Amino acid sequence: MFGRMIRGTLVRQWKKMLMIAFTIALGASLASAMLSVMLDVGDKVNQELKTYGANIKVIPKEASVLSDLYEVEDGNAGRYLKEDELGKIKTIFWAFNIVDYAPFVNAQSELDDGTEITVVGTWFNHHMDLPTGESLDAGVASMRSWWDLKEGSWLDEQTGESSDCAMIGAEAAEKQGLGAGDTIKVKGSSAEKELRIVGVYDAGGEEDSEIYCTLDTAQELSGLEGSIDSIEVSALTTPDDELSERAAKDPSSLTVAQKEQWYCTAYASSICYQIQEVITDSVASPVRQVADSEGAILEKTQLLMVLITILSLIGAALGICNLVTASVMERSQEIGLMKAIGAHNGSVSLLVLTEIFITAIIGGVAGFFAGFGFAQIIGHSVFGSAINMRPMVIPIVAVLVVIVTLIGCIPAIRMLLRLRPTEVLHGR
Amino acid sequence: MSLLELKNVYKIYGELHALDDVSLTVEKGEWVSIMGPSGSGKSTMMNIIGCMDKPTKGEVLLDGVDIAKESKKNLTNIRRDKIGLIFQQFHLVNYLTALENVMLAQYYHSMPDEKEALEALERVGLADRAKHLPSQLSGGEQQRVCVARALINYPEIILADEPTGNLDEKNEEIVVELFHKLHDEGTTLIVVTHDPEVAEVAQRTLVLRDGKLSKEIVNDHFTGKIRFDDQNPF
Amino acid sequence: MKKRRMFIRMITASLMRRRSRMIVALLSITIGATILSGLVSIYYDVPKQMGAQFRNYGANMILTASGDSFKMSDVQSARAVFDEEEIVGIAPFRYENVRINDIPFVAAGTDAEEAKATSPYWAVEGDWFSAQGDVLVGSGVAESFRLKTGDMIEIAYTPEGNDESSEDGEIVLDNYDYFNVVGILETGGSEENYIYMSMDDMQALTQTEERVDVTEMSISASGDELSDYIDEINAKVPAVRASVVKRVTASEATVLTKLQALVLLVTVIVLALTMICVATTMTAVVAERRKEIGLRKAIGASDKSIIQEFMGESMLLGLFGGAIGSVLGYVFAQQVSVNVFSSSISFRPLLVPITMIVSIAVTGISSLVPIRSATDIDPALVLKGE
Repeated sequence: MFGRMIRGTLVRQWKKMLMIAFTIALGASLASAMLSVMLDVGDKVNQELKTYGANIKVIPKEASVLSDLYEVEDGNAGRYLKEDELGKIKTIFWAFNIVDYAPFVNAQSELDDGTEITVVGTWFNHHMDLPTGESLDAGVASMRSWWDLKEGSWLDEQTGESSDCAMIGAEAAEKQGLGAGDTIKVKGSSAEKELRIVGVYDAGGEEDSEIYCTLDTAQELSGLEGSIDSIEVSALTTPDDELSERAAKDPSSLTVAQKEQWYCTAYASSICYQIQEVITDSVASPVRQVADSEGAILEKTQLLMVLITILSLIGAALGICNLVTASVMERSQEIGLMKAIGAHNGSVSLLVLTEIFITAIIGGVAGFFAGFGFAQIIGHSVFGSAINMRPMVIPIVAVLVVIVTLIGCIPAIRMLLRLRPTEVLHGR
Repeated sequence: MSLLELKNVYKIYGELHALDDVSLTVEKGEWVSIMGPSGSGKSTMMNIIGCMDKPTKGEVLLDGVDIAKESKKNLTNIRRDKIGLIFQQFHLVNYLTALENVMLAQYYHSMPDEKEALEALERVGLADRAKHLPSQLSGGEQQRVCVARALINYPEIILADEPTGNLDEKNEEIVVELFHKLHDEGTTLIVVTHDPEVAEVAQRTLVLRDGKLSKEIVNDHFTGKIRFDDQNPF
Repeated sequence: MKKRRMFIRMITASLMRRRSRMIVALLSITIGATILSGLVSIYYDVPKQMGAQFRNYGANMILTASGDSFKMSDVQSARAVFDEEEIVGIAPFRYENVRINDIPFVAAGTDAEEAKATSPYWAVEGDWFSAQGDVLVGSGVAESFRLKTGDMIEIAYTPEGNDESSEDGEIVLDNYDYFNVVGILETGGSEENYIYMSMDDMQALTQTEERVDVTEMSISASGDELSDYIDEINAKVPAVRASVVKRVTASEATVLTKLQALVLLVTVIVLALTMICVATTMTAVVAERRKEIGLRKAIGASDKSIIQEFMGESMLLGLFGGAIGSVLGYVFAQQVSVNVFSSSISFRPLLVPITMIVSIAVTGISSLVPIRSATDIDPALVLKGE
């Protein structure tokens, strides 16, 4: 009979029940969308902040002591990083967090007219097949996203003749009266090459007076085959906290467990440490300008999203509560009747609760999927990529819906218990 | 011309003939009661006379106007101007005071007039309860507010549907007493009831059975002056 | 006139005497209005507040000399171009080649407070220079001399004309000064190989006139505003050439646009869902009163007057809800701003009427549908208790 009564309500009062289910679905979709976005916003914004360029710089150990000083004297004082070790960066513990990197080698060269110019060899869109089976196109084409292309195009390494090509800074191009398509003769310390200019860029910095070409070309010019000066790495990092600060100050102060935790968290400092492990004689250090700011912005964005999420959760919760209360109260007459014909408070409450909960479950499930959809809309329209759905959203939303529905029922149930059948039936 | 005239009225729901060829006339100032068991078509007739429903067939002339042919909107206007309704369930707006409930009828009719509304409550003996909410009034008091509301706009007909159905004997007497008073003042009363005691105080009692007028009793003892009992509650 | 008084009397009676139901409805509208005004305030404040966060990346504009050099007075006149509120920091720098133990280094004179503001990412172990004779040394420099805070160093400056190639034979002695290392600077960049001191110390060491080589400016303004400022500075201060730091401004524009789009989208979705919630609640609240509507019809109310009364009531609720909501929304936005950005938010008076109008509209429209359907019903049916 109980089942029959419930079925009766759900089938015959489907309009009202549908409205409750709809509201619960709205609340649940809001909750799941906001939670998903909130949980994923860190990664997404981190990805966006990569436009600021590398947050880790790797230089040879010797050079790191006084790189500027040595540069003043004779370029780079004899110690270089090895080109063949570059691939190893993608094999460290946090390899997945390394989104981009590029090696650099500088060749001090001379132009025909005797002007000194720095020719920088690097990757533009270097293609790598990783041992994991994935592939990565790394290089300055993505790491220098703020460069404005004035003429021509980016140098494409994946076509055949890239070794004869170069890009030139706007300032140098203007001085030399060069444009895309022109050729330029450069004389390095050990070789001389003729390069075809494929693009002119405006970087708004010192790069504007330099020439960028492939790694091989610059190595040939300066006779530094197989060697590189520095590596810039763009990595997704966790903002610094107390642990990472302590590790940075004095690694020996950490206990084994803390060290383990530090190593296994994507702090800039632990990623640096891991890079040093794989690149011989290197010093990797976070570029504070980028790393610190990223941390700050990330933290603020996440906090902002958390607060907005809380507001919308409260809103959704109160909305559901409200409607559940209103709709149960509406049925006072029916329930008065049930009490009049001998229903106990307990059985009346149970009936109402069961009905509401069946409705809530239907609404909650529908809402969860709708929320998933909303999250994807946000992900695609803002970040151009899907929002990762975390499994933990499901239990949170479920618990939320149950608690909120229950709370919504409390005032209504209390009212039902106080209800005197005679009053209701006489329509007072 | 009679105030109300039903000519061969039918109301058919599918197979069911709720009203089957009913004809009757009510003169101005008359007090008519309609009796009959459940399902005899009382309520249907009441709805039709009260301009809340239209017959399937036939003519209903109220003051010479055939309401069967009027639009819904006009029906509302006719109801507002000519009919005062009293219900078994009282039906007061539960958040308005007794006075405001009476004024509500004035409001929809023409102009709310607090003094006049108060006078109407005085007529039903509730002047001191004017500021009370329906929930603070007894059943009889609520019904008297309904009576006050029904007569506030000086309707041609007061149509009461089981006015005493929800009342105890004491209150029933009071309400019937009120009807006597209204009748004395010349108001036309149509009272639908299944309580013979209430029915027989009217001048005429019409008995409905299966949608047909089966009997018409003229209450001979009715003089218009006889009181229900000796104690006048007013 | 009397009719209007009765109208008002009825509505207030309904609102006051059906308190619990009305509170349910009012609560729901208030929540909606709170979310509306709160999120919209946040949406409008995000660029400003986030923009301030982006100043962590350091200067977004630099001044260089258009001729040989420029002076502090030029920096001051460039500073006058901006609104004082927009200036995060304007740090002048003067670079000189100095020597420590005969090894050449670059020393920079600057203003400690301003440099701190333009380069918040500089990690200083110890203190910034404040007293005369204090220096901040880069970690590269500190490492090569095993310097710790508290150490004394001797810095030598060779005045112009005293290099080996000078031909006039006149001997100009190096200037020496002792400096107190108060802090060690770590940046992950080339700054680690510099020595920083105050402008006055630099002037004392070099015994030359004051001069500025570069001025870093951190301004909380977006790309377009920045280029306007650049034009203005270039026009007003001929001694300097202003330019944007593209790497910072371009990236900032990208990220900020995305962030704002995110908040906008979230706002729109949350608002849409909240408004639907308000609408369903209003629908339930009105549906509950079908019987009353039937009664009013029975005693002669026209559809129009019923719609007027119920709409009047809903809209009044909308008005109250909107008013309370806009206040609560401001409080919420303020809390968010204080907690997230530790700065207060400006009150937008326009948002109050907008919130009220939107909540009146939403409650009005969402009540209209059930009211209309209720006026369609036969009063006889309702009164029979169906």
